Amino acid sequence: MSTSKGFANSHNRAAFLFLSPAFLLLAAFVAYPVIYAGWLSLFRWDGASAPVFEGAGNFVRLAGDPIFWRALGRNLLVALSAMVFQVFLALCIAYCLVRIVPAFSRILLFFYLVPVMVSEICIGLLWRFMYNPYFGLVNAAFGALGLDGLKRGWLGESGTAFSAVVVVMSFTYLGLYVLLFVAAVRSVPESVYEAAEIDGAGHFTKFFSITIPMVGDAVRANSLLAIIGSLKTFSLVFVLTNGGPNHASEVVSTYLYKMGFGSFEMGYAATIGFTQMMLTAIGAWLVFRYLKRTGVGGRT
Amino acid sequence: MGLKRLLIAGAAMVLTALPAAAGELSFWHAYAGQQDKVDFINFALDEFAKAHPDIKLDVVAAEQSAYKAKLNTAMASGNPPDVFYTLPGGFLNAFVNGGQMYALDADLAKDGWGASFLESALAQTSKDGHAYAVPVDVDSVVFWYDKALFAENGWAVPSSYDELLALAEKIKGEGIVPFALGNKDAWPATFWFQYLEMRLKGSGVVSAFVNKDAKAALGDEGTKALEHVAALSSKGYFPIGFNGMGDQEANMLFLNGQAAMMLNGTWQIGASADAPEGFELGYFAFPTVAGGAGDQSDVLAGVAATFGISEKAENKADAVTLLKFLTSSQVMTKYVELRKTMVTVKDATTEAAAGPVLFDISSKLMAEAGHLDPFYDTAMPPAATNIYYTSLQGVLDGSVPPADAAKRLEDALRADK
Repeated sequence: MSTSKGFANSHNRAAFLFLSPAFLLLAAFVAYPVIYAGWLSLFRWDGASAPVFEGAGNFVRLAGDPIFWRALGRNLLVALSAMVFQVFLALCIAYCLVRIVPAFSRILLFFYLVPVMVSEICIGLLWRFMYNPYFGLVNAAFGALGLDGLKRGWLGESGTAFSAVVVVMSFTYLGLYVLLFVAAVRSVPESVYEAAEIDGAGHFTKFFSITIPMVGDAVRANSLLAIIGSLKTFSLVFVLTNGGPNHASEVVSTYLYKMGFGSFEMGYAATIGFTQMMLTAIGAWLVFRYLKRTGVGGRT
Repeated sequence: MGLKRLLIAGAAMVLTALPAAAGELSFWHAYAGQQDKVDFINFALDEFAKAHPDIKLDVVAAEQSAYKAKLNTAMASGNPPDVFYTLPGGFLNAFVNGGQMYALDADLAKDGWGASFLESALAQTSKDGHAYAVPVDVDSVVFWYDKALFAENGWAVPSSYDELLALAEKIKGEGIVPFALGNKDAWPATFWFQYLEMRLKGSGVVSAFVNKDAKAALGDEGTKALEHVAALSSKGYFPIGFNGMGDQEANMLFLNGQAAMMLNGTWQIGASADAPEGFELGYFAFPTVAGGAGDQSDVLAGVAATFGISEKAENKADAVTLLKFLTSSQVMTKYVELRKTMVTVKDATTEAAAGPVLFDISSKLMAEAGHLDPFYDTAMPPAATNIYYTSLQGVLDGSVPPADAAKRLEDALRADK
């Protein structure tokens, strides 16, 4: 008995030893900043003078800050568009690559993956050139089609700035989901499709009745990935519009950055960050629960 | 053996991270990224090493926008560098309010160091009568135009605001954008508002707020100036989508002759260096506004960069030596020559170093100006700057009424504690 206990102990010790680097890294780079942000969110602090305790003051201010709520609304729109134009579209494309044009799937997949391999900053800068109202490709394309009336300053007008950013996001992240779904769609057994074909099922039926249910786990994981990514999205917005003009394309992260490193309101920035993290966690949990309950994936 | 070496290397790294000992200074600056900035700092530091071999510098450089965040983080964490580059106005004042800056008054009074600076420049690095940093360079804002393009079309340089608007209408009729503007980062349009406010109401409006003057106000002139700005935009005198274009993109329009004029700082001289063949850069002063209460000769000109010493620095004597060296006539003349920017040290902006256009601005326009009014956006506290930027973008795209924007800005200026 004692020997087996001793064995278990030494075993545990070894396990702890092996896990400790990961634990320490998590503690230093995740837990500590989160706790620190939570603590900082109770203060008013410009980063230079002594912090002034505000209590819940920052949270009250946040609750009544229309810029924050509109920015959060835009994050939700980004999430919605990501579900449609990234996750769902990627699944359709993955199905086409695997089931309809398998001969070209490798080369096409490569093209879809190019934006995933380039840094977001570069993609943002590239699209800034494409959107440039005078030299840009987008307006030139409309001009070539004789649609001069559609030419505009895409990133500079409050009406179009946010949509223009969402288009870039969809193009940029689509490839990642295509890659993930191609692997999932390939794993669906051929026999199921053969059986469906005998019953006279076309691609439409096969896609909705076989592929989607069979890759449910991947759908759930990718949706979660897309939604979490959308709630914390930063770099493309930052490079393309910096949240402007006049907050017209502001998302929570760019607003946080402006408050922290533009206005040097560190306490309020921490409040925004802490709230964003909480909302993202709650959002992810809800999505996970909901998708589980509807039974997407065939097994629960 | 290998492990031992590793330990020694580790210990060495720990040691270098410790505060500088006597004869050692940590020095942070933002002269990075652009070639002219790098050339300048390399020159200055090489010369310093030759002149003061006993002082060892631990130099950290970062590009401007990253630098601001980096310095602020260092200040916030209580580990400021001994000597560092900082922006004047609200950015510096936050450190001053936090008791982090060493007052240079006693050192400036010695050996005529203080007297070597332009008085108006030193005032911009002072708070409540104490100087907390030494000013380095001065930028001023004027209208830029391509002399060749103007001559070709028979356009004359305007001297009143009405003439400017008439000229803009004519230029627009030719299918050319009257004024280049790339307002994504929101500072370029501030020059329009500030000049109009200076002409309509006078200089020192924002400085009055910063100095807690009870009578400080934007006045009705503030709303009127914003109305003028909104009108320029609604008449289509700016490029399409200007609120989404960067200053660089606006510059491309200007240098390619797709836009005729540009209201911008003296850094435009450097930015126009690679203009196409035949482009000839000229400038004119912001025109007079009829009925304006301000001194119509005033020029928007402000200190762009400063150097300061941390209150925590243990080695202040050497730190002062470094600052004195950096702001010596020899180094500053080289600064003008390399960067084509005016400096705050008297007589260092020589014609030979500055070139004809910059020397003309320095010796005529600025010398004859009634007042030099520093940049509003850097003078005001950072939180107000943010509101200033977004409100102005809103006025320009018509989403914020001028009166609302004026009120928002005034509230933000008063909110400073």
